[in-house]
Amino acid sequence: MGAIPLGIAARPASPELSLGSKLAVLLQREVSRLTAPIWMPSAVGVLWLGFDYEVVGMERLRARYRRIRSQSDAPLLICANHLTMIDSAIIAWALGSPGWYLFNYSAIAWNLPERRNFAYSPASDVLSYLMKCLPVTRGGERAAVADVLNRFVYLLSQGEVGMIFPEGGRSRSGRVEIETAAPGVGRVVTALPGCRVLCVYLRGERQETFGSVPARGERLHLRLALMHPRSRYFGLRGSRDVAQQIVAKLAEMERKHFDARKRRRGSRRSRSGARRDASAV
Amino acid sequence: MSEREVMDKVVGILKPYVKNEVALAAVSPETNILDDLEVNSARLVDVILAFEDTFGIQVADEDADTVNTVGDAVKLICSKVH
Repeated sequence: MGAIPLGIAARPASPELSLGSKLAVLLQREVSRLTAPIWMPSAVGVLWLGFDYEVVGMERLRARYRRIRSQSDAPLLICANHLTMIDSAIIAWALGSPGWYLFNYSAIAWNLPERRNFAYSPASDVLSYLMKCLPVTRGGERAAVADVLNRFVYLLSQGEVGMIFPEGGRSRSGRVEIETAAPGVGRVVTALPGCRVLCVYLRGERQETFGSVPARGERLHLRLALMHPRSRYFGLRGSRDVAQQIVAKLAEMERKHFDARKRRRGSRRSRSGARRDASAV
Repeated sequence: MSEREVMDKVVGILKPYVKNEVALAAVSPETNILDDLEVNSARLVDVILAFEDTFGIQVADEDADTVNTVGDAVKLICSKVH
């Protein structure tokens, strides 16, 4: 899918955000960037060596992400399905190497983690600050949630990449849940004219349902799809429409994932069947 | 339309989304929609869209952000209807 060619001049106007808030997020970005040579390799080390994860086709995924980033200056929002607490770290690792990120720091996505899960103590607060997180309290006071979303939109309007899990939380059924589409994602997209959405479907081979982290040694499969969601509606209705389009896309990617898995298992079974037949002969 | 009538309609709209029926039975303007009635935050937008359809009003994102309690909803609707 091609990108909408939008030059720097076509970037959306920054949303209304106080100077203090703008300075606060820009300061966070710089502190995060300066400390990245320490925390980024450590995080990758935990995923790669600690958990022994393997991302299938990682080089292809990284090349595709680099291409998507270079195609256009339009804001880019990553929207992914959500099964574990470390999905955003896995996706970041799958889409770029620490070395590449250090020179393309805006490519590391900002996240909106649930405050109760990721910023519950001074230590976790510091870590989430360094790792480009803007903690949000799900179901919290509407004005506070809106303030975080405005900061997020501002960052995207400045060329930073963002990541949202449009289902609003980890999928309790283990499958993409269209009816839980959180309108917040639609609100971000509609606030950023020309915003591109990179849908990411992530699932481990042995992952059947939601959990804290994928099983150790898991082989992780990712699918990417770039879309430009639009709505004929405005306001809340438009936000909800856009959110539903994105979650529907993720559900479609999930169907393709399971179809491909069935084919892989089928061909594996027929190969082992053929081997058995040959050895019997 | 009186505030009482708006309140009754708001409660009727909220009913299908409410998980805490006990809190709904004792609803007052101070009742928090998310915390007390336990309406899923993702469903709040459906509630507000239902307000738009029922009362023939338009609610901007910024206005929707001000709705925390049943009373906030009633106040917002009354300000748009009257």
